[in-house]
Amino acid sequence: MATVKLTNVKKIYGKDTVAVDNFNLDIADKEFIVFVGPSGCGKSTTLRMIAGLEDISGGTVEIDGVVVNDLQPRDRDIAMVFQNYALYPHLTVFENMAFSLRLKKVPQDVVYEKVTAAAEILGITEYLTRKPRALSGGQRQRVAIGRAMVRDSKVFLMDEPLSNLDAKLRNQMRAEIILLRQKIDTTFIYVTHDQTEAMTLGDRIVIMKDGFIQQVGTPTEVFDMPDNLFVAEFIGAPKMNTFKTDLICENGRYYVTPYGAKIEVSGAKAEMLKAKNIGSREIILGVRPEHFVMADKNSNEAIACTIRVNEMMGSELHLHVEEANGDRLIVRIPTITLSDEQRKSLVFGATIYVTFESKVMHFFDPETEKNLLV
Amino acid sequence: MNNKENKTIQKRGLGAKASRRLGNTVVYVLLILMTVIWMFPFFGIVLESFRVETTGQVSYMWPKQFGLDNYTRLFKETDFLIWFRNTGIMGVATAVFQTFFILSMSYVLSRLRFKGRKALMNLMLILGMFPGFLTMILIYKVFADLGLTMNMAPVGLIIVYCASSGMGYYVSKGFFDTIPKSLDEAARVDGATRFQVFYKVIMPLSKPIVIYTILMGFMAPWGDFMLASYLIHENSAGMSVAVGMFEWLSKTNVNTHYTMFCAAGVIVAIPVTLVFLMLQKYYVEGVTGGAVKG
Repeated sequence: MATVKLTNVKKIYGKDTVAVDNFNLDIADKEFIVFVGPSGCGKSTTLRMIAGLEDISGGTVEIDGVVVNDLQPRDRDIAMVFQNYALYPHLTVFENMAFSLRLKKVPQDVVYEKVTAAAEILGITEYLTRKPRALSGGQRQRVAIGRAMVRDSKVFLMDEPLSNLDAKLRNQMRAEIILLRQKIDTTFIYVTHDQTEAMTLGDRIVIMKDGFIQQVGTPTEVFDMPDNLFVAEFIGAPKMNTFKTDLICENGRYYVTPYGAKIEVSGAKAEMLKAKNIGSREIILGVRPEHFVMADKNSNEAIACTIRVNEMMGSELHLHVEEANGDRLIVRIPTITLSDEQRKSLVFGATIYVTFESKVMHFFDPETEKNLLV
Repeated sequence: MNNKENKTIQKRGLGAKASRRLGNTVVYVLLILMTVIWMFPFFGIVLESFRVETTGQVSYMWPKQFGLDNYTRLFKETDFLIWFRNTGIMGVATAVFQTFFILSMSYVLSRLRFKGRKALMNLMLILGMFPGFLTMILIYKVFADLGLTMNMAPVGLIIVYCASSGMGYYVSKGFFDTIPKSLDEAARVDGATRFQVFYKVIMPLSKPIVIYTILMGFMAPWGDFMLASYLIHENSAGMSVAVGMFEWLSKTNVNTHYTMFCAAGVIVAIPVTLVFLMLQKYYVEGVTGGAVKG
């Protein structure tokens, strides 16, 4: 249990390869923070700097108010779960989990108690006498988590712990990590490239790109109000549709004109545009696939598109459609809202008419790619 | 599938089996032949050592009379036991120090990143290409001044065997490189110092290479003649088996000492074989299985 504070943290490899730059973050006690971003964005490097496995090129890392820049990993009181498990192959599961306690010369009965308690929580009691090589991937990852659990350390670091598991096991383990978090109430820093993991696990999410933080916020904040185009497209699956269009301000009313349609911006979004004093201009408009709705053919709010791919996902359809200019959009439609007839009509080459409401619109500056409303 | 096709496939199948069997037979015959050729000198030496009818070389192999005469002479009439003890001590000491030097060197070169690491590795590689005896005169001069020749030669020899042994890092560094780095990192986060990582995680995973290094170190003094003969160079209390026994093969001695030489050879083979047999069980394959996601 501890706070973690990163101030202007920087990592430079060699002479001028900047991996992380200007990283500032305050992590509260018992908070679950997720670093997310595409590969090479510096998220793992940042985690490894907190762990002490990488030198810090600039700035400071504090754990519980103490600057740890020059402390060895063993002096930082952290626990870490690695992507590839990193279990000691010559030791049994029990000894793997007891390793850190043995180094600390913890009495045998305490070791036994702690290891069996952790094994109980993780459901690996029956494997305690086995060697790692006799375990499946999921079991190995549990042992790796158990090894970190027995430490009772201040900060719990996890470096893509689920990305080596198959999809089904990953979903299961994700849920287990949420449960685990309730049992071991400590500060978590979790690295992943998977936005679903980030959204479901994090109290707050740190979205990174090219070594810089793009946005820090709760899952709702980053989803509803992305700071920039990158965050907007990174969070949410399938990714947000973005297209250049005009924002028109007429007689105090706002309209957007995507692909020949004219859709009024009303309600809160219009208020916000007004408050920011934004006039007519070119923008990048963002609309998430699930926020499209079917429109009446004759409405001037309707965008006409041709279906190119129809992916049946079960509860919903993912329609990859092409607009007259050749722009591709993705539209998600819950199957339950469609009549049998409608479903049959959604085939390759068919024309559909879609639109969207004001509250789902996201406005970005085409130059800076920043959200105009932030 | 009709009958004809079926038959062709069966025929082909049999053909493959037959040719594989033929191939195996050829390989086995070849291997057995090589084994016989390779074993022959050993067998010959053992037979010589039990020969009683003569002490010199003869033109036939099978002894006319078997006995332990050569062995009793060896222990009663010569200083062989002292030489044997000297070499044994050198073997153990070299094995201990050399293993320590080589393994720490290899671990450092495999795991730590520091300035000049590449240059150091290249330098050692190049230095290693020069034959060791180039330094012999200098070593003799220095050691003579330090009093590490003659009776004290074993100490001098241990120093020579161990001093530059770190340069033989290639094999074990190559082995350490195959152990995932995340194991080191996990152990360091778990609270281990660099040295604890080395002996609690890396060493147990490197048993085969540790054994190999120990064996190499232990065997070095038994086989080294050139350097040893320089430092010992007279019949002294510091004699090693290689230097001592060589004397028996000189023109004046060979007729009286040849069979005894063979007996000594058999005895020298015992400790090396014993050490190997003792350590052999640690040659376990696949110790790293299950460490990381493969």
